[in-house]
Amino acid sequence: MTFRFDRDTRRRWKDLAMNVAAFLSVVLALIPLGSLLFEASVRGLRSITPSFFTLTTANGGIGNAIQGTLILIALTAVIALPVGILTGIYLAEYGKNPVGAAVRFFVDVMTQIPSIVVGIFAFSLILELGAAGIVDKRLVFSTTTGVIALSTIMIPFVARTSEEALRLVPISTRESALALGIPRYRAILRVVLPSSSSAVITGALLGIARVGGETAPLLMTCLGSPFWWQGLDQPCESLPHTIYVFALGPDSALNQAAWGASLILVLMMLGIAIVSRVVIRLRSVSR
Amino acid sequence: MPQAAERKALQKGLLKLNENMVTLAELSELAIRKAIDALTRLDGEVAREVFTIDQEVYGLQLEIEHTCVDLIALHAPVARDLRTITTSLKITTDLDRIGRYAKDLGELTLQFGPSARGAEPELTRIREMADRTIQMVDTAIDAFVKHDAESVRNIMQVDDTVDRMHDENFDELVRRMTEGSLKIETGARYILVNRYLERIADHAVNIGMRVVYMVTGDWLPRERAADRAKRIPK
Amino acid sequence: MAAKIRTEKVSAWYGPKKAIEDITLDFEEHAVSAIIGPSGCGKSTLIRCLNRMHETIPKARVEGRVLLSGEDIYGFPAVTVRRRIGMVFQKANPFPTMSIYENVAAGLRLNGERNRDRLDTAVLESLKQAALWDEVKDSLEKSGASLSGGQQQRLCIARALAVRPEVVLMDEPCAALDPIATAKIEDLIFDLKKDYTVVIVTHNMQQAARVAETTAFMYLGHLIEVGPTRELFERPKETLTESYITGRFG
Repeated sequence: MTFRFDRDTRRRWKDLAMNVAAFLSVVLALIPLGSLLFEASVRGLRSITPSFFTLTTANGGIGNAIQGTLILIALTAVIALPVGILTGIYLAEYGKNPVGAAVRFFVDVMTQIPSIVVGIFAFSLILELGAAGIVDKRLVFSTTTGVIALSTIMIPFVARTSEEALRLVPISTRESALALGIPRYRAILRVVLPSSSSAVITGALLGIARVGGETAPLLMTCLGSPFWWQGLDQPCESLPHTIYVFALGPDSALNQAAWGASLILVLMMLGIAIVSRVVIRLRSVSR
Repeated sequence: MPQAAERKALQKGLLKLNENMVTLAELSELAIRKAIDALTRLDGEVAREVFTIDQEVYGLQLEIEHTCVDLIALHAPVARDLRTITTSLKITTDLDRIGRYAKDLGELTLQFGPSARGAEPELTRIREMADRTIQMVDTAIDAFVKHDAESVRNIMQVDDTVDRMHDENFDELVRRMTEGSLKIETGARYILVNRYLERIADHAVNIGMRVVYMVTGDWLPRERAADRAKRIPK
Repeated sequence: MAAKIRTEKVSAWYGPKKAIEDITLDFEEHAVSAIIGPSGCGKSTLIRCLNRMHETIPKARVEGRVLLSGEDIYGFPAVTVRRRIGMVFQKANPFPTMSIYENVAAGLRLNGERNRDRLDTAVLESLKQAALWDEVKDSLEKSGASLSGGQQQRLCIARALAVRPEVVLMDEPCAALDPIATAKIEDLIFDLKKDYTVVIVTHNMQQAARVAETTAFMYLGHLIEVGPTRELFERPKETLTESYITGRFG
């Protein structure tokens, strides 16, 4: 059999080579993720006991850290989601003008700001307000300040994802709604927004996941606390902070606990990602 | 709707149609000229040639009909193209009739034979009328070939003259036959010749009117050319 | 018959670019009028000025008057105008998150109608007028996207009819459909004449010839000729019109 290295054969080999290269790249990209999950699971699993969740960090558990993280992201979501989504609506629907362009620019810039800078911002804001006597000085290190910082991170993020989501809705949908004599705001809220709801929800969930894992801003805002949550005006513990403290401390039992906390945090993030997929799946099935 | 690409096909079809129509028109005119020539000189040879031409006329007319239907079915023509095609369809009938009458005149020529001797006055009058008739046919066909509506706008007036000549000829023939200076057989045939010439003129008028429509889209006030000769007795 | 809707020297711009110039045109009541012309001649722009959709485009501008039953439509709120002058677009676009029923009822519901009976009646009548009722009556809760292209377009027509407009504008409604679906929609346009005034923009001249009593021909933003469809197609007055309809320029 003669081996004809003609154009067709060359093309096939090239095709195969590209396929293999792409596949290997994917594998390469997934290795860190896989190894992370692997390590976290293997090392962290040992710490997962019921008491791990019920004890405070003072006693080697992470109960208050989980509580703190949940409270932080819940409060942040309550503030950041409406503001972010409405901003996204503004940018997508009303923002095709110089003002909109400026807003979009600022929002983009804000998504890029390093989170520690946001932390400093929130910290100094409350510091100044405290010095001016407008708010209680204690607020400097409290849940409130932490929420301010996390909101500042989450709002631009959600605004951008919401804007992208709304842009996915074809112009014809908007036009048809308007052509029926529906006022614009109602067309947006009752037709356009529902059409893009899965994308908006995904954006929101991703935003939550993002702030849930933020550490730097929390370091100088809600600081940390060995106790169960004590109030908006009190320092607050959080999972990222706990991991930081446990891992760097001298106590090896706590080092181990840090892995457990990491595992919990990773599982939470994974959980949110899964939930958002399920939501999308459910919504498209119902059509 | 004729798109840019379809135009080629339609154009080609229209070109062919035009060629055939011109051929048909020329054949019809040739037929009638030969028939008149044969009649006035009582030439049997030429008379027979007319029969052949008439056959051709008929065959071509059928082909043109089919072409027109095809063009309409395939190309959905509009405006000028549409008018050209539908006019062509109608004119072929008139042209075919002219050819038929030419054939009839040829037959009469053959039938006259020697018995036509003694009918010189009739021949003169008929020749005059025939000249007018041929002129009308020529004008109408020329107008069609050149897509010229102006030259045929007044064709009806010429037809009125032909109608008048027909009536005068008729009265004269009857008088001569009654008086006995013309054999009945001969006279009867001349009455037919008279009639055919007048009908040919009518068809020329029809062609003219349709050419005006084809070119301008105007429907001129339409009275059948045949109806213009008012012969219903009071 | 009176002109139900008319334009008086309407010009429209997209930013600095003038799209149509000085269009004065009458659209007769209870009749179908067609606007034909090559791509880019401004026919879609014109029709969008009729229900004030043109102004939804950023930097768009309109001059001149548009009169609906004698009243200037720029004198009252755009939302009201659009309820009286409905529109069907080229690509059928049922609202993706709504069922067939909800789609048809959308115009009424989102304008405040809550009464279930009135909504049911409106949906039934509109779907019947759009010649779609028999095909969907047992699956009203199914998504609009589950229908075929031609059915979706009829759904959009029903949706537009449900708000009971006086005028129905159609911007190349059959452009994306096969001949059978097109024929169904042309038949329904024919029936709509009784109750509505229809203005249809089409690039398909045969369609204009089939459905419209009056046809207007536009070219490069200008109105070239308008007249009874029969005359336009048999004996157009303008050379430009003749050239276009005989296909002598694309």
